[in-house]
Amino acid sequence: MKTPRGTTAGAAPALSVRHTGARLFVQAMLARAYVRIMGSLREPTWIVSDAIFPNLGMCAFVLLYRALGAPRSYEALAVVGGVLTAYWLNVVWGMGAQLYWEKQSGQLQLYFAAPCSRMAILSGMAIGGLVATVLRSLVGVAIGAWVFHIEVAAFSPWVLAGVFLLTMVALYALGMTLSSVFLLYGREAWHTANALQEPVYFLSGLYFPIRSLGALGLVTAGVLPLTLGTDALRQVLMGPAAQGLLPLPVEAAALAGFGVLFLWLAGRALAYLEALAKREGRLTQRWQ
Amino acid sequence: MTLTSLRTSLARTRTAAWLGWQVEGNWADPVLFAIYVLARPLATALILAVMYHSVKGHGVESAVFVGFFVANAFHAYVNTVLVGLGWAVFEEREEYETLKYVYASPVGMFTYLGGRSVVKFALATVSMLVTLAVGWLLLGVRWDWAAVQWLPLAVSLAAGLASTLFCGFLLAGWALVLTRAAMVVLEGTTLASYLLCGVIFPVDLLPGPIRAVALALPFTWWYEALRRFLAGRGTSGLMERFSDAQVLIVLVGLTLVFAVLARWGYFAFERRARQLGRLDQTTLF
Repeated sequence: MKTPRGTTAGAAPALSVRHTGARLFVQAMLARAYVRIMGSLREPTWIVSDAIFPNLGMCAFVLLYRALGAPRSYEALAVVGGVLTAYWLNVVWGMGAQLYWEKQSGQLQLYFAAPCSRMAILSGMAIGGLVATVLRSLVGVAIGAWVFHIEVAAFSPWVLAGVFLLTMVALYALGMTLSSVFLLYGREAWHTANALQEPVYFLSGLYFPIRSLGALGLVTAGVLPLTLGTDALRQVLMGPAAQGLLPLPVEAAALAGFGVLFLWLAGRALAYLEALAKREGRLTQRWQ
Repeated sequence: MTLTSLRTSLARTRTAAWLGWQVEGNWADPVLFAIYVLARPLATALILAVMYHSVKGHGVESAVFVGFFVANAFHAYVNTVLVGLGWAVFEEREEYETLKYVYASPVGMFTYLGGRSVVKFALATVSMLVTLAVGWLLLGVRWDWAAVQWLPLAVSLAAGLASTLFCGFLLAGWALVLTRAAMVVLEGTTLASYLLCGVIFPVDLLPGPIRAVALALPFTWWYEALRRFLAGRGTSGLMERFSDAQVLIVLVGLTLVFAVLARWGYFAFERRARQLGRLDQTTLF
């Protein structure tokens, strides 16, 4: 039996097997996803923080609606938005700022020295982060259902799954783009990630109908996939009570467009900024 | 304390405050820094305002919302000063790896944290004032200045700000002992305090055991005092049972309790951190 390099099987170690192209891409992606999932399970405090913390803000906003005597549908709006904050936080901190962490821990150069596509690594990070966050976001769903007794309209699970998938592809593709941009940042990466929280919650209408923002809502829907994703998921789960911004098929098509656009942008940005970072010698610079 | 030692302490605090400003603000130009400092609190204020405007057709009283908005503006002190002191410890140790040098310097850790708190108080004050100004000028969040009770307001402000500082020292001490988990504790404190202190809703809405914790925190009473003495109306329900004087007494009492607890707790945590060798223990989180 011959290996691709022509050596005899058994005589040569597995290291001599060279995988290229799509197969290498998938293997690298799955390997990075595995590390992301297993890594997230190894630190118990992170499991608690990722599962509980995003929901604390949601609880406060739901209780505000209750204190203001708002109709129950508004509480459901806030719960759906609150559950999605877990994904946004993962996109910002787990994707956008990830290469910054890697630089701080001295591992970034290993990514660039690895014989695989950097897009495969980023895709693996996205898939691993998504899987880990899905598990944690179920805590938010449980709080909504059992603590706040949120009720939703009859919905098709297939439509829900489809819209959710489109939203996640668009969000994590945006995260991949952000990670490339953050590559050039030092301490600013931390501050930028911080600044991308509450302002984005506001612009995405996570705790109120996005329609309440008027024209600004339409503008943000044209820029932020989180805005459209939140609105689309609410429409699937709540029907007319969601006070949707655009018809659901339009939002689904726009989310698909966002996914394609940000994946393309991520690839372009990574190639450009990698070259720039190498030229300026910032890949191994900590605290800069 | 002699005059000379007082002067020395003040000089050290001033140096620590200057250093704190360099750490907080030297990564960006002033405009960008201002945007960064104001973006989060303003966004939260806007979220509240839009939530209120979305449902105000359902018979909500505006005075109720004004109280929540005011408390939310003052919550900047808890986020920036209280939790910020814990982050100062975390950053010095994990991010810059300079905690051991601060510790070994003549300024000392306690004074250094005091200096850092000065800058954080200034930033929180800017954030609070801008939030209230935006609320007043753009969002219609207004109260009757003639109804403001200035003396009780001044007392409650002093007690609330002192509580913020004392609890900040306690949290910073805890952060000294913790390593990687410090990040989780600090983030958790930020988020939990928003829920536990009834910043934007009456504490009655919290489940029984959590409500008991809320009532043991000085900030719950501080926000109630601010609503009554500045915005002109407190929250309904449980807090209505307490007179203005009782609210102030409980607030001052809890502040004194936390002052003692912070003084004892900080140094106990610090001793423990030294015993465990945590002052220079980095985890690369």
